[in-house]
Amino acid sequence: MNKFSKIQEILKDILDIEPEDVAEDTYIIRDLGAESIDLLELAVSLDTAFKSDLTSDIVDDDLFLRFMREYIMEADGAGKNRADYIREKYPFLKTARIEEILSDLDDGPVLKVSDIIDYIAWLSKDTGAKTHERTG
Amino acid sequence: MKLEFSKTNALILGGGCELGIVLGRLMISSGLFPLMTFRSLEGEKRIASALQPFSGQYASGFLDFAETASIDAFFSRNTGAIHYLVDLIHGDLSQLVASSGSRNISRFYEENVSLRAAVLEIVSRRMLTQKFGRLVYVSSTAAARPHAGQGFYASSKLASEAIYKNLGIELGGKNITTVVLRPGYMDAGRGRAYAALNRKEILEKIPIKRLLSVDEVAETIMFLISDSARGVNAAEIVLDGGLCAGK
Repeated sequence: MNKFSKIQEILKDILDIEPEDVAEDTYIIRDLGAESIDLLELAVSLDTAFKSDLTSDIVDDDLFLRFMREYIMEADGAGKNRADYIREKYPFLKTARIEEILSDLDDGPVLKVSDIIDYIAWLSKDTGAKTHERTG
Repeated sequence: MKLEFSKTNALILGGGCELGIVLGRLMISSGLFPLMTFRSLEGEKRIASALQPFSGQYASGFLDFAETASIDAFFSRNTGAIHYLVDLIHGDLSQLVASSGSRNISRFYEENVSLRAAVLEIVSRRMLTQKFGRLVYVSSTAAARPHAGQGFYASSKLASEAIYKNLGIELGGKNITTVVLRPGYMDAGRGRAYAALNRKEILEKIPIKRLLSVDEVAETIMFLISDSARGVNAAEIVLDGGLCAGK
């Protein structure tokens, strides 16, 4: 079972939805209505499902892009390029995805299923895990 | 009534105290497997000595809220299921508010509130994977009755109570529930020492005219973790012989 299928299965169980409701492009909060308790359960379930593949622990704040808006404000306050700053803070996000997020902020929480997949892949042994801490 | 327990594994934080050991025995006799923490060599020895006849039916390990590293080490060594948690840990800081010393206060809250929350994060996430958890926090009537010199003790108890109650609200829907028990004067530990010096004054305040026995507090905890008490969530139960009800 690939990463997407595992995540799809986990979301189906937690949110009591059909598998076809979950695509890589699905917004987890906007489309699926996930609440904070659901996200907590998602983090715990991902940890259980992928633990043997990961080289470091899942950090909920990174997994759910919790500080995205704070980082954007920090970039603005420091006169830095937003995309570069977000890439530095969330190195698992691809450039195109960062651009999409920056243009999508007004419509609500930006977290997508694909972000979860990218985070897990980034932490996986096959891609070499990295850790970073929130600064500022 | 025979108490029923649908799960098996219990973690007793502060298992080396008198109440912890009595509770450990009761759990073993009820078919549960207690994992008991201690924070001193004396505590480890007390557990080993008292539970010697029950070898293989319990486990113990070092965990001290004053040593952050001990928390990670404890949970790295003990990776099994935790269905029940009974929290008996609490430090003491008997100081008047006006003469406490800021360094003492910070350290006290770090040990008794912040690190307790860190332990609860680990345990509750483990309980989420099990889809079951029952947590009992043993607080104190000191949380309800201000007394000179007990401000920091009481406030840290109240803060810890709030964390437990919130946990029960946040995760109740996931079959993880909590309850706070507030015992009054108990014939054990600090309560016994205090009562030895102030017996007459204490008994005048308690309608049942006696201290609580360790056994009856342990039995109440057993009831609270049992299947019979499943509906009690995010609440505090007072076990004080009527102490707090009077003027």
